[in-house]
Amino acid sequence: MSVTSQSPSNAAYRDPFFAGIILLLWVLLALFVLYPLACLFGRAFVDGGTISLQPLLDVLNNPHHRRAFGNSLILALAVGVGGTLLGFLFAFTAVRGGLSRRVIGFIDTATLLPLISPPFTISVAILFSFGARGLITYDLLGIKGFAIYGFMSTAAAEMITYFPIAYLTLRPILASIDPNIENAAFSMGASRARVFRTMTLPLSMPGIANAFLLLFACSLADFATPLILAGNDFPVLPTEAFLQITGQFDLRGGALLSILLLVPAAVVFFLQRYWLQGRSFVTVTGKAGSRSSVEILTPAMRFTLFALCGAVSIVVIYFYALLLFSSLVVAFGANHTFTFKHYHVIFTEGLPAIRDTLIIAAIGMPLGGIYGVVVGYLVARKQFWGRQSLELASMINYALPGTIVGIAYLLAFNDKPMELTGTAAIIIACYIFRYSPTGIRATIALLHQVDKSLEEASESLGAKSFTTFRRITLPLIMPAFFTGLGVVFIRSMTAISATIFLISINWTLVTVRILENMTELSLGPAAAFSVLVVVIVYVVLFLIGQMLARFRALEGGRVESILGG
Amino acid sequence: MAVTAAQPVPIRLTGIGKSFEHGVKGRIHAVRDVNVAVVPGELLTLLGPSGCGKTTTLRMIAGFEQPTEGEIHIGEKNVTGLRANERNIGFVFQNYAIFPHLSVFENVGYGLRVQQKPEDEIKRAVADVLDLVGLAGYAQQHPHQLSGGEQQRVALARAIVFRPRILLFDEPLSNLDAKLRVQMRGEILQLQKRLGITTVYVTHDQEEAMAISDRIAVMDRGSIVQIASAEDLYDRPSNEFVARFIGRTNLFDGKMRDTTNGRIVVEALGQTIVANSAPDGILPGDTVRVMIRPERIALTVQSTTGVGAKVLSRTFLGEKTEYHVSVGDQLVQATLYGQGKQSAFAAGDSVQIIFPADGVHLMKP
Repeated sequence: MSVTSQSPSNAAYRDPFFAGIILLLWVLLALFVLYPLACLFGRAFVDGGTISLQPLLDVLNNPHHRRAFGNSLILALAVGVGGTLLGFLFAFTAVRGGLSRRVIGFIDTATLLPLISPPFTISVAILFSFGARGLITYDLLGIKGFAIYGFMSTAAAEMITYFPIAYLTLRPILASIDPNIENAAFSMGASRARVFRTMTLPLSMPGIANAFLLLFACSLADFATPLILAGNDFPVLPTEAFLQITGQFDLRGGALLSILLLVPAAVVFFLQRYWLQGRSFVTVTGKAGSRSSVEILTPAMRFTLFALCGAVSIVVIYFYALLLFSSLVVAFGANHTFTFKHYHVIFTEGLPAIRDTLIIAAIGMPLGGIYGVVVGYLVARKQFWGRQSLELASMINYALPGTIVGIAYLLAFNDKPMELTGTAAIIIACYIFRYSPTGIRATIALLHQVDKSLEEASESLGAKSFTTFRRITLPLIMPAFFTGLGVVFIRSMTAISATIFLISINWTLVTVRILENMTELSLGPAAAFSVLVVVIVYVVLFLIGQMLARFRALEGGRVESILGG
Repeated sequence: MAVTAAQPVPIRLTGIGKSFEHGVKGRIHAVRDVNVAVVPGELLTLLGPSGCGKTTTLRMIAGFEQPTEGEIHIGEKNVTGLRANERNIGFVFQNYAIFPHLSVFENVGYGLRVQQKPEDEIKRAVADVLDLVGLAGYAQQHPHQLSGGEQQRVALARAIVFRPRILLFDEPLSNLDAKLRVQMRGEILQLQKRLGITTVYVTHDQEEAMAISDRIAVMDRGSIVQIASAEDLYDRPSNEFVARFIGRTNLFDGKMRDTTNGRIVVEALGQTIVANSAPDGILPGDTVRVMIRPERIALTVQSTTGVGAKVLSRTFLGEKTEYHVSVGDQLVQATLYGQGKQSAFAAGDSVQIIFPADGVHLMKP
């Protein structure tokens, strides 16, 4: 590989150590990112040795598939708008509401829960509340045969599941708006509404756009919620692709449907990367004012905001309480006798799934963490040929909906020369390349804050590049490493959209067992599994938070950065 | 001149206080019993170390914070309790608070647009004020294209364009480099005098305060210690805090001996020192604090009236030379101007110190 550098002392190409690592990364990316995608496109468009668009046209001509495509877009749009509104409400309240630490802690807990839950959690809770025998629809309101399935419930479930992402995206943006900007406008006689309209809103616009795109992509890729709640009359692409493959064993049809999903996903990715990048206003004025704004909200407005956030938080917490309750009764809706039998089931019959999931997470976590830090370091600090392509390639699996990645892996690793289907390795590889980019981004962001002179000082003292990396750079980027670990672990415990295609008799996952339980209508064990996952993730997140606290000296190591991606 | 102020108004702070409950430290008084009358057209500076309450006081005048005690009048109007957007003030922030998403024109015109002035009037007023602050032709620029000094000028233009009744500055120059700071403070002063607008200015930089102010209010731990012109503060500080905060100074303990014929005789440094005035209520036998500025001291080789001293160190700084000398066990700083190398003293030399009576200032201990 030809590798060049601007600064001779930093020439990666002269350094066999870095040259070797870059080569290794390219091999891994080729194998686990580019090759599966090539297989996916090959299967979709190559027919008997010739390239043909006919299969795609056939898919597009199928009215059912066209509807699924349209539904996916409508759903993503609704979730993007609604979730961003909710996220903005929460972020604005947290930043400008003048709330006490305890109240913000309560709001943070309520918004944290959906982020660390397995995918069906909210859907199950909605079924328990609003289903045919739901707590609210049947028991409280006495409605018989309430039809919960469809667009409304799916959109509501996804909004509640994903709005915390918008909250985490918008909160730092709003917090970085200097309150003196608002005060300045205010002192010139502007009303509160005007200050909000002409200052707060335009200044947070890049964040709002970013939150919308993130939520749009999440909803587009969401496979679990529509599977439970959408029903037969509201097909969406990820579930259609899944049913095509598992129900009709039509790999090509599934591949083609997932490629349809690729188009909007790619649009979102490039909008985020090239349109939104550098569109933040927040760093223009020099030193930030030290005082917080006391003027932008009246006590009545503050109370209203607090009440709205409180109501949404209570709904979220109610859903989780319901889940916990249903995991502890014989049969929710029919027999509310207290029992541990569902937990007994998951720790006996369900134990292999728990064990497999934890083994896979435990192997994937350190590998993903190291991979993220190494790629982030090379991209941020080294000059070499193909640097930007390397970064782009490392982001692909992260940006793609899980359904596409899952089908691509299924196609790529089903046969020789890379027969990995049925092994844990395929699941681990999927997690590493799909969820480490958060760690990569955290590393890059952190390194941009660390002055290069620290490393140059080390070099000037005679340290070799590996020594500099190990003794100077690595300690500085430890927070990013832990962030990477956290994300890979959480996703290993909660993801399903890609790995549903990759499990086997030998290796299965808790999330897949939850889905199986739901389709068998054994909701008690499903609830118990969900509670278990939330508890495990919460404990691990707490431990990582403790580790991060030790590196508090450097910014970028906050727990929420684990979840922002 | 298109940009003119209305009739200048006074600002009156009566018994202003701000206190709040602190979880650990109990009740904290950020500002206590501040009484100031800013006369129309005056530039009054609040000067003091960080944490002395000067910015809090300014923000209470602006209406960004409300006092827990006292009243604020702007002109004849009691504005206590009114919000910042109801007080008609111009405020220049420490970090300028330029609206980063708006052009220079839109930044400056914001206040006028809020007042729903007609578009052509806004255009004219903004052009005039940009001209006034030396930013003609910058209207369409965006904040990130501006240097620190230019951002400062935009902030200034934005604060004066809608003809506020008063102008408030919160450490406006602290983000500029030293040279620009001197230049900008000259421009601010010139502009303030030209507009004749009553102004309160906050800084922790004593030189800046002295250069710009009609009067300076020195603050310490939430209270105003002394309000006076720069000359009075420098020559006749009311207490040791002011004496030490403004300029460099020598302070000794002394004992009042005699007050005959308007000549006050004090015993200090084991010698007799003469002053021209003494604080009220000081009687012979009382202890006093004796202050003399280093540049008011003279050093000679031979003198009959001087005090014997020994040179400890000499620092040549071009226009002046600084000496540290010892009188007994007391260290005294002396600054001599325009001294050539020939007449200089060296470390170890024995010298005589002369304290001229008009340079000696006595304070209550």
